Amino acid sequence: MRGRLHWGLLALAALLCAAFALVAMIVWRHSPRRGLPYRDSFAAGRADEWRAFGGDWELIHGMMRNDSDERGAKLLAGSRYWRNYSVEADVYLLGDSGDAGLIIRSSDEEQGVNAYSGYYAGLRTGDNSLVLGRADHGWMETSRQVPVANGIRPFHWYHLKLLAYDCQIVAAMSAPGDAFHNSVSIDDTNCIRSGRIGLRSYSAGGIWRNVIVRTASRQDLLAMLKGTPVLSELTVPDPLQLESLNNPDTSEEQVNGLPGGTVRTIRSLRLRFLARPAVVTIRGVVVLTTPRLYVQDATGGVYVQNPPGQPLKLGDEVEVSGEAHSGEFSPMLKHATVRVLWERTPMPPLSVTAAEASTGKYDATFIEMRGVLNGWEHGPGNTLMLDLQDGPQSFRAVLNPGRSDSLLSRLKPDSVVRVRGICVVDPVLTGNLTPFVLLLRSNEDLNVISGPPWWSARHVFAIGVFVFLLSIGTFALYHRLENWRLLAIMSERARLAHEMHDTLAQSFAGIGFQLQAIRNRVPDGMPVISQQLQFASELVRHSHEEARRSLATLHSEELQSEDVLVALDQCARRMIEGSAVQVITLREGEVRGIPLRIADPLYRIGQEAIANAIRHANPATLTLRLSFRKNSVSLDIEDDGAGFVMGDGLHGFGIRGMRRRAQSISAVFNIRSRSGGGTQIRVDTPLPPRFGFAALPGFLWKITMEHRTNVRARANSRIYSR
Amino acid sequence: MVPPDRCFGSTKIAYFVVTAISSLWVVACSAPRRTVIAVIPQTDGTMLWQPAHVGAETAVRGSGLSIYWNAPAREDDVEAQIDLVERAIDRRVAGLVLVPDQALSLISPVRRSLAHGIQVVIIGSPLPIPAGNNLSYILNDDVAAGHMAAQRLDVLLHGRGTVAVLGIDPDFMGIMIRERSFEEYLAQHDPGIHVVDREMGSFNFPQQQQIAQTTLRSHRDLGAIVALMSPSVDGALAALASMHVRQSVKVIGFDVSGWPLFDRNLNLDCVIQENTRLMGQKAVEIIEAARQHRPVPTQVILPPVMITRRSSDAAEVRWMFSQDWTLGRSKWSAQQ
Repeated sequence: MRGRLHWGLLALAALLCAAFALVAMIVWRHSPRRGLPYRDSFAAGRADEWRAFGGDWELIHGMMRNDSDERGAKLLAGSRYWRNYSVEADVYLLGDSGDAGLIIRSSDEEQGVNAYSGYYAGLRTGDNSLVLGRADHGWMETSRQVPVANGIRPFHWYHLKLLAYDCQIVAAMSAPGDAFHNSVSIDDTNCIRSGRIGLRSYSAGGIWRNVIVRTASRQDLLAMLKGTPVLSELTVPDPLQLESLNNPDTSEEQVNGLPGGTVRTIRSLRLRFLARPAVVTIRGVVVLTTPRLYVQDATGGVYVQNPPGQPLKLGDEVEVSGEAHSGEFSPMLKHATVRVLWERTPMPPLSVTAAEASTGKYDATFIEMRGVLNGWEHGPGNTLMLDLQDGPQSFRAVLNPGRSDSLLSRLKPDSVVRVRGICVVDPVLTGNLTPFVLLLRSNEDLNVISGPPWWSARHVFAIGVFVFLLSIGTFALYHRLENWRLLAIMSERARLAHEMHDTLAQSFAGIGFQLQAIRNRVPDGMPVISQQLQFASELVRHSHEEARRSLATLHSEELQSEDVLVALDQCARRMIEGSAVQVITLREGEVRGIPLRIADPLYRIGQEAIANAIRHANPATLTLRLSFRKNSVSLDIEDDGAGFVMGDGLHGFGIRGMRRRAQSISAVFNIRSRSGGGTQIRVDTPLPPRFGFAALPGFLWKITMEHRTNVRARANSRIYSR
Repeated sequence: MVPPDRCFGSTKIAYFVVTAISSLWVVACSAPRRTVIAVIPQTDGTMLWQPAHVGAETAVRGSGLSIYWNAPAREDDVEAQIDLVERAIDRRVAGLVLVPDQALSLISPVRRSLAHGIQVVIIGSPLPIPAGNNLSYILNDDVAAGHMAAQRLDVLLHGRGTVAVLGIDPDFMGIMIRERSFEEYLAQHDPGIHVVDREMGSFNFPQQQQIAQTTLRSHRDLGAIVALMSPSVDGALAALASMHVRQSVKVIGFDVSGWPLFDRNLNLDCVIQENTRLMGQKAVEIIEAARQHRPVPTQVILPPVMITRRSSDAAEVRWMFSQDWTLGRSKWSAQQ
């Protein structure tokens, strides 16, 4: 009972530890400071923790860029349990008809313009103002707008900071190098208490860098409310980058001006300039900006080589003038100038099969197709190259470095995926390994339609291992139950032996004493009665001895360990108590443990053999030998007694029982005897192999066969008993 | 040996724990869920459909219902709108209010919603599905809108002149209806006014601006422009401003996505606006009535409102353009 209490306390302690660990983990996960302070790893080319909801987010030159002018495209990161903190970043607008900024305390996000709960502060070009408001699957803006003195200009860097403390939200912005400072704050009574950070743009693309999140205190809030400048502490923009970004070729006049010159369709360029390149003008929509610029119209697509370093967005309607070179499948424009006509919604992809794409008909065209993912590798410039298969056609999809690494956790070989990208048959990219490659624009161009089938080699192997382990577990349990059963039987035998000893054996002794007392009082003149009493006393003594032997066979306390030989020796010595029989025990081979399910039958067989020898053979020597071999053990019980003629009355000496027990453990049972030459009984039984995975299947097979044999033996014994 | 009372104590504790967990589970599972009505307009983030959000929130106020509001990022992103409808079906919403982005593509998703027993109200522009069987329409009276534009044009041009119609979009049945009714009315009542140009519309403002510029160059004596959709209105006004065209060329616009700025756009004569706020409100009321097994109308036609320079500050117009969908739930004070 004390042991049970001990185990109970241990279990309780383990439970408490587990509960404590669980609570600690929950507290840690819910901590408003977990992961703070945070600084982006854009410069290192990592953005795995960011999740996109719409837009076209890519890491380019160590900055996060959204090339899409989708309304309300957002990219989120951080913990939803962050409460009082500030987020700041450098923000750069890629268009003149929208806004870009930061989100704070965001949760419940979905794809959609205002499909999140949180606060947003942005720089808006339309009314040149700093806007602040709350989104709750709908947008509510502060009624007070903050006009920025010098206006909000696209293609310029601004520093934006957003702070949330309790229910006060403050936004402030400034331009690097400018002294002016603008801020706006709201005191929202029923405020959103916690949430993630995010980058967001509306109807204009944007670029973000140096995203920093810190815990905020009341002092920080007051400092912002007082108008402390929020110039970036860290940002010293790369002059070259700024130069290229701040001086786009698209001026206001260019955007609004009407295009001129003869405009050709892209298809018309394909064969016309085979012999001699010529300068042409085409109009189309930008379908890819990095690593190459592709423009597409209703008739096809064209690769614009070495375009000027101006910011272009997907969906921009452009006029491109350049030297047309006809390729085998699509034209190419060299030395091109690009003029943005207007922004428009990105072009939808054409849905084709790999077989169709492999004809080259869709070269330089934005297409969509399905395929089975065979694998992936990193290509030149740390690009992610996905190997795909659609029917007999293999092809590759190429993703720019940066956010592509975050895809890998979602991808599994043999998944069915849908990819959208620009079909390119250029051998420079295909390496002539596949008929074409797809240049994907961002992670969002790859969707996993379905995971790998369950019958993959890995899964089948896992299922096989599981079934194998389950079988082992089942067999282990079975044997443990068998052991328990045997122990219960032995325990019951012992109890019966004690009972019989206390009742039957004591009664025999009592009867013997009584008969002896009567016999002592019989007068000498009654020889017949005296002789009958003598006979009765002998009979009682004999019965008492038989009972004692039976009790000895029932008693199994000797078989507490696997040492069958010791137990049999003790048993034999008890049986021959008072006689001159010599008992010799021999042990041969490398001793190893014998499972109880084998040891018990062996012991019973040995016991029976010893009893038979003592009762019937009148031996001078009794030899007990236990021989261990690699995978078997044999027990020999040999006497030098009277012996018997083989074939006569074999069943009468309990041999049938011994044989049945031998069968139950798949043992070979042999008996050799001749009249006057003693008897040898031998039981040779296999032992379970020493533990090793290689031997397990054989062992399981043997156990199964053994089990079948036992069943048959039981059935046979039932037939015999009838 | 463990005393019996201690055994009983641990059993009691076990019973207590099991009972507590079961009770929590039962309470959590039986907690009443808020019934949700999904409102999916053409797009979000523009001022045209934001009043519908206000109307919907007004209708559910105090009813225990809640509004799920989401929309595609673009007016022409039909795929995204279909996806939102499918998600609404999966969420087992009590009702669906939809402003279809396209007349044909939304037929199947709407039919699927109806098959799931969801009460659907189509607002704005109709679908080619007959009303009834859980489907209702709340539509703008586009015939009346076309007539209003024609009547206004008659006043502006005094019965003689030329007009260009911009923003024709077959994706929206309502736009086609108003265009036809406009021309039929002119043909019948003002034979002296000729439609000299008809241009397709899109949700691309710069493209619409370019189309308007081309139209203005092609027709130097143009008397007026009728722009049937919001980007066409903005495009026409921007083209007129950039080309410094005389103020006599008037623009009659439809369904602008913000407060009509007559002061900044002198060419803008009037705006014929559908009452999206009332549409959102009535749509949710219909769903609520259907839930309570009250009779619901299969079709409601709401008259459009003509907003002129003079009436732009009227209370009715202010009510129509209200943006505060939180209805005071978000109480904040702003400071600069």
